[in-house]
Amino acid sequence: MNKFSWYEAKSVEDALEQVSSTVSEELYQQTNNASVFKSGGIDLFDWVKEGLLQPEKIVNIRNIPGLDKISYDEKKGLSIGSNVTLAEIASNPEIKNNYLALHQAVNHAATPQLRNISTLGGNIAQRNRCWYFRSADHDCYRKGGDRCFARHSENGENENHAIIDNGSCVSIHASSISTALMAFNATVVIVNNEGKKKNVSMDEFFVTAAKDIAMENILQAKELITEIIIPAPGKNTKSAYIKQVARESYDWSLGDVAVVFEVSGNNTCRSASIVLGAAAPIPFRSMEAQKAIEDKLITNENALAAAKAAMSIARPLAKNGYKVPLFVATIKQAILEIS
Amino acid sequence: MDTRKEKFPYGIPGHNLSEIEREIPIEEPPVWPVNDKLKIIGKRVTRIDALDKVTGKAKFTSDMKLPGMLYAKMLRSNVPHATITSIDISKAESLAGVHAIHLIENAQKEGEENKSGKYPMVKYVGQPLGGIAAESLEIAKDALKLIKVNYEKKPFVIDIEAAMEIGAPIVFDVPITQQQDGGDVGETHDGSKGQGNVRGPSTSSFFGGPRGDLAKGFEEADVVVEKTYRTQVQTHMPLETHGVVVDWNSDVMMVYASTQNTAGVRNEMASVFNLPKSKVRVFCDFMGGGFGAKHSAGSFGPMAANLAKKSGRPVWLMMDRKEEHHSEGNRPNSIQYLKIGAKKDGTLTGIQQRSHGTAGVGLGAGVGRIAQVLYPCPNFATEQYDVLTNAGPGAAWRAPGNVQGAFGLEQAIDELAEKLNMDPLTYRDHIDKSEVRKVERQRGAKLFDWSRRKPAGSGKGTVKKGLGVGQSTWPRFVTLDSSVEVKIHNDGGVEIRSSVQDIGTGTKTILAQVVAEELGLQVNDITVNIGDTFFPVGPGSGGSVVTGSITPPARNATFEAKTALLKLVAKKWEKDSSALFMEDGMIGHKNDASLKMSFKEATKLMRTSQISKTASRSDDYGGFQQPWGLAFGDLGSVQFAEVSVNTDTGFVKVDKIVAAHSCGRPLNLGQLESQINGGVIQGLSYALYENRVMDNATGHMMNANVDQYKVPFSMEIPEIETLIVEEYSALSSTDAYGIGEPANIATAAAIANAVYNAIGVRIYEIPITPSSILKALNKVS
Amino acid sequence: MEDKNKKSGAKPGNGISRRSFIRGAGLSTAGSVLLTTNAFALNNKEPLTAENEFGPDAMTIKMKVNGITKSLSVEPRTTLASALRDHLELTGTKVVCDRGSCSACTVYLDGKPVNSCMLSVFDVGDKEVTTIEGIAKNGELHPVQQAFIEHDASQCGYCTPGMVMSCVHLVDNNSDPNLEDVKNATRGNLCRCGTHPHVFKATMDASKKMI
Repeated sequence: MNKFSWYEAKSVEDALEQVSSTVSEELYQQTNNASVFKSGGIDLFDWVKEGLLQPEKIVNIRNIPGLDKISYDEKKGLSIGSNVTLAEIASNPEIKNNYLALHQAVNHAATPQLRNISTLGGNIAQRNRCWYFRSADHDCYRKGGDRCFARHSENGENENHAIIDNGSCVSIHASSISTALMAFNATVVIVNNEGKKKNVSMDEFFVTAAKDIAMENILQAKELITEIIIPAPGKNTKSAYIKQVARESYDWSLGDVAVVFEVSGNNTCRSASIVLGAAAPIPFRSMEAQKAIEDKLITNENALAAAKAAMSIARPLAKNGYKVPLFVATIKQAILEIS
Repeated sequence: MDTRKEKFPYGIPGHNLSEIEREIPIEEPPVWPVNDKLKIIGKRVTRIDALDKVTGKAKFTSDMKLPGMLYAKMLRSNVPHATITSIDISKAESLAGVHAIHLIENAQKEGEENKSGKYPMVKYVGQPLGGIAAESLEIAKDALKLIKVNYEKKPFVIDIEAAMEIGAPIVFDVPITQQQDGGDVGETHDGSKGQGNVRGPSTSSFFGGPRGDLAKGFEEADVVVEKTYRTQVQTHMPLETHGVVVDWNSDVMMVYASTQNTAGVRNEMASVFNLPKSKVRVFCDFMGGGFGAKHSAGSFGPMAANLAKKSGRPVWLMMDRKEEHHSEGNRPNSIQYLKIGAKKDGTLTGIQQRSHGTAGVGLGAGVGRIAQVLYPCPNFATEQYDVLTNAGPGAAWRAPGNVQGAFGLEQAIDELAEKLNMDPLTYRDHIDKSEVRKVERQRGAKLFDWSRRKPAGSGKGTVKKGLGVGQSTWPRFVTLDSSVEVKIHNDGGVEIRSSVQDIGTGTKTILAQVVAEELGLQVNDITVNIGDTFFPVGPGSGGSVVTGSITPPARNATFEAKTALLKLVAKKWEKDSSALFMEDGMIGHKNDASLKMSFKEATKLMRTSQISKTASRSDDYGGFQQPWGLAFGDLGSVQFAEVSVNTDTGFVKVDKIVAAHSCGRPLNLGQLESQINGGVIQGLSYALYENRVMDNATGHMMNANVDQYKVPFSMEIPEIETLIVEEYSALSSTDAYGIGEPANIATAAAIANAVYNAIGVRIYEIPITPSSILKALNKVS
Repeated sequence: MEDKNKKSGAKPGNGISRRSFIRGAGLSTAGSVLLTTNAFALNNKEPLTAENEFGPDAMTIKMKVNGITKSLSVEPRTTLASALRDHLELTGTKVVCDRGSCSACTVYLDGKPVNSCMLSVFDVGDKEVTTIEGIAKNGELHPVQQAFIEHDASQCGYCTPGMVMSCVHLVDNNSDPNLEDVKNATRGNLCRCGTHPHVFKATMDASKKMI
């Protein structure tokens, strides 16, 4: 890694004073003299080791007090501090009992060792894993370059890439936990250097490539995630999460689905929240699937119809056509697991 | 020559065990009975170096730290094809902490101009260009960033089929011979024949050339299978990367190497630097995996030595994971056309094979000898072509060529069996003349319960189960240049020395077992000092030769030392030494129970501090199949695979493998199981996960890491049952052979056949990913 | 209230306290300090000073490894793995992928398995580091290590330290693991030689012996 100095932030204000740009801005502009945040550091150190990021200063926010609590209240819902580790989330019984899809998503993420280091804030803010994006030898759009290497129909290695919203960048968002969080309608709490606090829904937190090629989320330089909040589940809230992989042990998602329904007594879906991971450059809420299943009985037939509706907007690339039947099967299965 | 006649166990216990008489040199040790009758041989003996491994004490090359040692990094090209017009190292040189920089330059030949100028032409991304040695690895990396290389880019080609086209960019416009890492990469050809990037074909092996008349053979056939099978490029990904530490401060160059061939590296370094062999010492105590790629000094060996010389300090040079993937070797891919004909009673009438493969800028992308020799067939021909591409050079990879070849042939045989309406196992009973594989099929089928197998694709439900089988053969290679020294010390200690290395297979332990068995001692009584070229030269760990090559000399030298010690005891007891024996740490007399002495006591009778005997590999009893060291017989195996395929998601799980193997006389059961597990898991990995992904547009490997170059982790490991068939051939004083490569050959074929049985659609290309399955089931539009 | 000086390891009159750090030209001459995390905690009402900033040049820090406090001169970019291997010559911990993908670099931080290649040495603070060298106590092997030997769970040996760390953590925290638990505990451990089946057997055996 390049030489950098290390700043041990003592508070959110302290931390915000130190940074000059986001990791995303730095990857795009490559000034090589930036100060950037580090929480768990798993995503950050990958960038620095690959030489794509050469920060002048790393601001360690990992030990800022007050960001590492999980609290659950039947009425208020769930609050997870941005420095809570994935391991702490995975082993939390209240999350398992009340937010099953989230519990499952976290348990499928990474490895036991990584879960002891990675934090929730870092996880949702991480950048995508497109191998061209992660390569110092390929200057793609996301790094201020002039092309997308993956999208090239003959030569692009795009088997892991997006089938939806793939008009410009064809990467897929890397956080499969975000799939579940978005399905639960989570809110990201962001604090800035003026002390202002704002709550941003997960749907608004992520930024499509079409909107801004340099970002995957709305965080600005002088902003910090402090907490992620999930509303309290209703009496009839049920959830499911399925992640398809080539290897069970640990693998990036080939396609994951989180489903959160309000289910009425006779097994009808009253309201549906269906989010697809590894389908698009951001965790993708499938309005098509939601519309197709809302107010319908949860049956094989209806689940399949919803799944097909989800994929009706899919535009696969040369090498990732398999994701369409994969998602159809997975969305259907996730919906059926709910009932 | 003085000889004597002896009767040896011969055949397979529980099947056809008998005796055979051999006429052997008079000095050879007594006949060993079958393993049942031996104390240490053929048992579960814990590895003598296991303690060091589980406590972290084991020092690998990457762990070495010498006083004053510098850390080095290689400079490599990041374009696939170019002339280098200049390299500016001025900024790097002046960085604090940098001690030496060495660039690779074209050797200047008098009167000749180098086509590419001062520096060699760049032929692939990752080609070594130079190296930097600095106080720390971080400083070396900082310095690398400051070097400016100016390239004049040239057209390049990555994809094998694109490279085969007329008019493709030319990788080499001259005849080439195998340049990089050696080893048996497949069938090495003369790179001068051919057209454009296509070189060859190779049409013969050491088993001979074409047989009979193919056209006639196919005329006689009632059924024919004609298909094309494809396999991918596979990198080795050993956990410890390639590398060395070179200490060249005295007139002896000391090289600590993570290697499969200490003597080979020694010879290479001596040759490159014009030193006598005695002035280069290579040392390898522990090494973190090689799988065929670590036979030579590579480019890093000479680079480290050059940096050591320039800086006057020892130099550590280990590859990082990216370099390991794109530059340090790979198993070439293959496109194999197979046409097989048989009569309706199943008799094979013709086997035709034509293959193309790319070993990048190297040669040897063949598909081995499986189609040539696995099943007898009177009419046979093969054409194996190399296709040059601008990618990292191939290297030997656990059963080179033959893993690719087995994937093709064993599926074709299954397809033939189906056309003949025969069960694939029954069909193999019909066409396979190997006695050992017959026993492996019988015992394996029982353990696996092959009778569970249902018609292809007949399972109900989303997840379909399938059973499949695959077979293999591997020659019994013997390296004749295999020697050991055995010392009995006058404190009762015993030591065995050789340059042979232990690459994780357990060579150290089997040597201790052989010596201990011969002397009536325990494994813990034996000190094994190997992996040092100051000791007698042993074989490289390749071709699965080590066990068969080094254990007979180990036994023979021990026997000689034993004889010398017994003579001293005999003299003391005033008896004939032929009546003395060693057992349980004691020396006794066959006919006089009162005569007893401990081994340790006996050594006090020695006149010198040590009895030292050196032995080299003698000829096989009854001669060799081929005089350069091909023993009679083979190492056959049969592997059974059980898979579950999710037809909605394409997810494939291997539930169980039964692997039936033979290695002659088994020496260490635990280690053999480990080897078989390893070969099976690598075969499974090859069948389902691994793939070197090259970007055709830029020439880079896109998954040069552990994250996206996929191999199995814990959840992917199936239940593996190993079944060892003892086979005595009476060919040497130990009659033992290796198993490393045989363990890896049939697995992918067995899995592919099982997948067919599960879903009723055959997959002709590996790796078999969810995408492959969904495509095969016509679910991808 | 804890004595902050005790926690930081800087005793009055013995070595240099946190207050006397000099900012500017790197801190390599500033002496030893135990980087604390909790010492920067809520009750620290001191004004922000340069004490929070370290590097980029090397400086001496203290770190507790296998029960012993060690002093080492490191830069912020020095990973914990590199600090252990190159500075403290505890080479049992291996660097294989250098990206947190293979668990060969597994050590414990306050008893929790982590990838030491993805942590800066400055991430350690006052947490205790345990490496493979610290698993056997007073020369007595942990039952997992003994079982690894008996079940031939090592081949080349390079993945073994990481595997042992994962398996020891499992059996020390779960008195009756089944095969699924063992596979879960080692799902991040890369092995190329194929030791997995014997690793599983060894770990199951070790846990039975520990009941």
